[in-house]
Amino acid sequence: MTLAIASIFNLKLKPPGFGMMLMSDAVELPWKADVLAARRGDKNAFESLVRSVQRPVYGLCVRLLSNEAEASEVAQEAFLRAFQNLGRYDAERPFDLWVLAIARNLCLDILRRRSRLQTQDVDDMKDALPSGAPTQEEGAIAHQERRSLEAAVGTLPADDREVLALYYVQKRTTKQIAEVMGVAPGTIMARLFRAREKLRKMMAPAPTPAQEAP
Amino acid sequence: MTRTPCPDLEVLFAEVAEGRGPAFDHGKTCPACAAVLEEHRELEKDLFKLQDPFPPANFVPQVMAKVASAPVSASVELKTGFAILGTALALAFVILVARGATAGQLGISVAHWAVEVRAILVGLLNGVAMAWKTAAVPVAAILAALLALSLVGLKKLAGTDVPAKV
Repeated sequence: MTLAIASIFNLKLKPPGFGMMLMSDAVELPWKADVLAARRGDKNAFESLVRSVQRPVYGLCVRLLSNEAEASEVAQEAFLRAFQNLGRYDAERPFDLWVLAIARNLCLDILRRRSRLQTQDVDDMKDALPSGAPTQEEGAIAHQERRSLEAAVGTLPADDREVLALYYVQKRTTKQIAEVMGVAPGTIMARLFRAREKLRKMMAPAPTPAQEAP
Repeated sequence: MTRTPCPDLEVLFAEVAEGRGPAFDHGKTCPACAAVLEEHRELEKDLFKLQDPFPPANFVPQVMAKVASAPVSASVELKTGFAILGTALALAFVILVARGATAGQLGISVAHWAVEVRAILVGLLNGVAMAWKTAAVPVAAILAALLALSLVGLKKLAGTDVPAKV
């Protein structure tokens, strides 16, 4: 008990914990010179920009789409759009966040298309489908997935996946995440909590038959 | 001692982040809430260890190939066009200034041109006034049609494919 209570205070003292991680909001502009050069048509400068932010952009696409080939295509498309719209980009704002927002919009478009297609498929095959109860095999897969945090994150809805990826994997501040997602910064902590709570429940050990018995 | 009921977890976490509030006080003494907080803390530790995957080795070349084959944006084309025009005009001006006699000739030509243009404009205005007095409705219709055609033409010229969401 004492240990558990102490852990609450640890949350306040030890970053990172429950979003208490403090990051400097000071905006550095290492990309500005490259952006200005790229605007003048300097492809080498743009290539340098791509190299500097390719990993987070591709990483977010992979987490949102759960498909590496598709993620690569979408990330490439995001960079292409960034290049074509450099004139509309405010060089005082972080370049990586701008490209991340473009990539995120493209991913969400694909996810929306996917869900529409799935809905159509389900409607078409409604009669042929078995009951909604999970089979023994599905249960075994779910249990297997619980063992891996990465896999568990992959089963969350897209909005949970993106907030977790941006905060924990890419170590972004809530302000930066809000900028990418186009939401109020104050909502990010609540989103993070809800996503984490879903994960916690998912990762909890499967109840034993004795525990399940009334 | 009566224990307060466990607060909603979202409220608890919000108050833990703030470091004050009744839910926060409750969390300090409730083993169940403390256990949940601890589980979240452990989960966070693991989540912070996750890494972004590396993009494929040919990712950047593929992006640059797409960039190379993409049409140049309208703004870049316009800027380049104006830069060329500006440079040409500046050069022409420098050459004219360098030849003093030619510059003088130019001044006289411009003055002549200004006078002639004024005469032409006065004539045109008189003609329009006369046409308006004799056939106002057809003139207005023709002018409106010309304006509409020009606008349609301009719209077609200015129309470029800009991605809807950037």
